[in-house]
Amino acid sequence: MKPSMGWSMALIALWLGGCASVSTDPRAGGLAGGIKGLSTGAYDARIQEREDRLAVLRQVQAELETERGDLETTKAKRKQQVAAERARVRRMNRDIAALNQRVNSLSAAANRNDQRVQTLRIRVAQLQNQSARLQSDLDALEGSGIGDSEADLRRAQLEQQRASLQAEYDLLNRMALDLAR
Amino acid sequence: MTRQRTSGNLTLALLAACTFAGRAQGAGVPLDEIRQVLREQALRAPAESVLQDLDAANLASGLQAIDPAARYFPRALYRSPNRGRDSMSGIGAELLPSGDDLWLLPFLGGAAAAAGLTERARLRTIDGRSVAGLSLDEIAQRLRGPEGTRVVLGVEDAAGDTWRLTIQRRSFHPLDVELVQPGGQPVLRVREFAAGLTRPALLATLDFIAEGASRSKHQSIILDLRDATGGDLFEALDIAALFLPEGAPLATLVARGGVTQTIRAPAGADLEQPLILLIGPGTASAAEILAGILRDHGRARLVGQTTYGKCDSQTEVRLSDGSVLRFTNRAVRLPSGEHCSGVGIVPDLAVDTATLNDLSRLVPRASGALVAP
Repeated sequence: MKPSMGWSMALIALWLGGCASVSTDPRAGGLAGGIKGLSTGAYDARIQEREDRLAVLRQVQAELETERGDLETTKAKRKQQVAAERARVRRMNRDIAALNQRVNSLSAAANRNDQRVQTLRIRVAQLQNQSARLQSDLDALEGSGIGDSEADLRRAQLEQQRASLQAEYDLLNRMALDLAR
Repeated sequence: MTRQRTSGNLTLALLAACTFAGRAQGAGVPLDEIRQVLREQALRAPAESVLQDLDAANLASGLQAIDPAARYFPRALYRSPNRGRDSMSGIGAELLPSGDDLWLLPFLGGAAAAAGLTERARLRTIDGRSVAGLSLDEIAQRLRGPEGTRVVLGVEDAAGDTWRLTIQRRSFHPLDVELVQPGGQPVLRVREFAAGLTRPALLATLDFIAEGASRSKHQSIILDLRDATGGDLFEALDIAALFLPEGAPLATLVARGGVTQTIRAPAGADLEQPLILLIGPGTASAAEILAGILRDHGRARLVGQTTYGKCDSQTEVRLSDGSVLRFTNRAVRLPSGEHCSGVGIVPDLAVDTATLNDLSRLVPRASGALVAP
């Protein structure tokens, strides 16, 4: 009597356990639920649901991987752009230094009070200052975390500023050449 | 207003890595050259007796008695204003006294902004001690410190909320044009007009906004000039020209003896978006000239409070020993013929001081100004 009584208690406990759960998650289902599920097809539905859920998770993971890859690519691209920009500014600085020497020679050869030469001297000096600051900003940008929105804005500003200074250099260079003739 | 400007400059000098110094260094000052330059080139010729009274020991005050904008920089201390703002080190904010309040104006990318202070706020305590009763020098002294060290500030934002933030001092490079977006509306903040640098930075920022969001070509542009204390006049004129058709008069420069030169807009971007300028008592010199030009052409709505009132321009002369003299050599007349010195530029839509200091309230008011009759 005692053993059979024990089995009955266990079955009741399992039965109650099954009843207590209304989840369709197979991991949460009790024995009775499982048995019931086998006969009704709900178990297959749960398996399908689990597979669907896994598929969604895999999809999300794949999208995150792609996004991470895109971010890395963008970051690498930005780094390359900053490096290229730094090289352009270095080149421009060399050109401005050479222009400065030419203007100094012009200044020595021409009348020191020649207004055009004086104007050129002032503008070349100004360009040197601006370009030096640009170089410093680009150096700092390369050292910072490239890739966030603020860094992107900074890079965009520096690129346009460099292009603007380059145009100013070209103009001053033409002026210097005209004066040298 | 004078206190505000002077103090603002003081703070910048204290917080920035590179500083100006306005005092002469005693002996060796080329006084005769200074007298000669001012005698020949200053907008208003000083009396000979005043020029002769200049001496090396009190040069700063002597110069300012002649011309409030005049400064002498010994060679070693001169830094060209055309460079714009160099790298700074510190808490990454300017200090602006206004009435009884002391405002912190954080720079985007600076240490204060990194600690969460992205808009102006009143400074209340430094490391637990109230700033009430402290002089500006003492406050600046407490805010300064080596890179990497921390300071705890108690602040009250424009809405009246108080909070504490721990700031780790560090170096940073201020942007020439900052982009802030209260309520999703892009606002371009300019604090200084750096020759050859601010205009391209502004254009780049407009492109950046256009790329980032499907921004309509006709969506308004809001330029925040509340803290723009001036800079290069021609950069400001170039920026005005971005919004005006070719040939539009920008300003007339009046030199000694009434000699005038009218500057006109070159062919350029001719940006068509509606334009709003935020202005206030801190908007000075080149910045208020920009505001005045665009207002005179009916090209921008001005929102805020009357500007500082300085429509003169300065030039710099390098002296034989390498030192530099800065002085006023031109008055600037707006397209309407107005000269704003001592008067300022009056906004189309005036707001109270609480609104002026709170960008999240000011921007909706400003946007409404475009559609208001």
